[in-house]
Amino acid sequence: MIKCVIWDIDNTLLDGIYLESGQQRPGVDPELAGVLGELAGRGIVHALASKNPPEAADYVARTTRLDFAAAECGWGRKSDAVRRIIGDLGIAPDAVAFVDDDLFERAEVAAAIPEVMVLAPEDAAEAASWPEFSPPVVTDEARRRGAMYAQRRRRQEEARAFAGSRDEFLRHAGTRVRVGPAGPADLPRLHELSVRTHQFNSGAEPVSEAVLGELLASPRHQVIAVRLSDRFGDDGIVGAAVAETGEAAETGEAAETGEAAGTGESASWSVPVLMMSCRALGRGVIDALLAWLCQRAARAGAAELRVPCLVTERNVPLRIALTGAGFRAGAGARDSDEAAGAGGAPQAVFTRRLSGKLPVLPDWAAGRAPEPPGSAEAEPGSADAEPGSSVTGEPA
Amino acid sequence: MTAEAGGDGGGRAVLGELRLILARITGDDELLGLAAEMPLFGDGVGLDSLTGTLLLREVQRQFGVDVAAEDLNLDSLATLGTLAAFIAAPR
Repeated sequence: MIKCVIWDIDNTLLDGIYLESGQQRPGVDPELAGVLGELAGRGIVHALASKNPPEAADYVARTTRLDFAAAECGWGRKSDAVRRIIGDLGIAPDAVAFVDDDLFERAEVAAAIPEVMVLAPEDAAEAASWPEFSPPVVTDEARRRGAMYAQRRRRQEEARAFAGSRDEFLRHAGTRVRVGPAGPADLPRLHELSVRTHQFNSGAEPVSEAVLGELLASPRHQVIAVRLSDRFGDDGIVGAAVAETGEAAETGEAAETGEAAGTGESASWSVPVLMMSCRALGRGVIDALLAWLCQRAARAGAAELRVPCLVTERNVPLRIALTGAGFRAGAGARDSDEAAGAGGAPQAVFTRRLSGKLPVLPDWAAGRAPEPPGSAEAEPGSADAEPGSSVTGEPA
Repeated sequence: MTAEAGGDGGGRAVLGELRLILARITGDDELLGLAAEMPLFGDGVGLDSLTGTLLLREVQRQFGVDVAAEDLNLDSLATLGTLAAFIAAPR
């Protein structure tokens, strides 16, 4: 599935050559303008790679009135520009299409990065009807993806110029992380996260909407969505988790009696699904989600929180977050190396005891002063009261 | 600062390199003076999944040690001292 199309400008998006056109700049090819809009509506983002000064990219963005997630203007190799865009956006090369009218540029990119789909402009016009360009699920988040990448660029530029720590910048940016129960309308986005996330995903297999729906209806499970916004923009749902609460945890008796800890399963919450979009990386989202889960589980009487997690090269960021929140791959975890999970990767169960000091939500996450533990759901409280209706990406 | 990794010149050199890496990743030059026993997570340095990933990537690049592959629990990320010791350990 293609997530990003990287466009050449001269004689591709433009009906002519930007620098050779004098006062009268060439217009955008009308057919491709339609394709750009159509694909953006499906959540496919656009980027530019052009042997032109940066003004050419600004001109194309202005003329098409579209957000381009990245623009590489310069006179180096096109394959280097494509690589930089791929790295910038954090997407896989096989999710990228490159469109250029120049046969040599197409050959250069195809030879250097064989995973990239290379197209001539006339093919691109048809591509909108190909399955690779037709994602089965188009969520609200997906449609806004291009705009969100543009917001991200503005956020990163301001962060670079900001004199202060990362936490100070997040506070300065008005970062808000809202953790709360998911509703039925969130399920397409949650499914999409399960398909698209890798660096912050504890499992390997996508979770279907049908399964998510069953979990939502199950009294033994909680489906949790995490929303992120700041004054640069609203990212909508960027993370999710499913918690298996178990019966003892439901009644809250485990902690009261103080004995249940020894009984194993009933005294622990398990998190079979844990995922976050890498778009939210470095903005405290995964830490807020883990803190929320710990506090919720502790309050429900669970003695420990367990997160089964594949151990892969790709999800190292998730393991770092787990370690930072005090999780341990318990004794014997190494043995489970033998019991390979789906995809052949070893799996370990990361466990956190819920006694003593729990991880807390960063104070800026709720957009105000530090809160006492357990009060974090004051933000999504309305979602608690009305689980079915709290589901748009609208900021509260 | 008696707990400097390895207790020898090699460990000390690794520590110095790690301070440089950390300061560069976080943009916080005060970390150039970070004590070897100061916790990296939590209130100490505030390492998170982003800065932690960048740190491990640099460690792999500069020292050729794939910490994430060798240390399931990432205990080595507790302090600069533990990380330096892990890197300097014979393997």
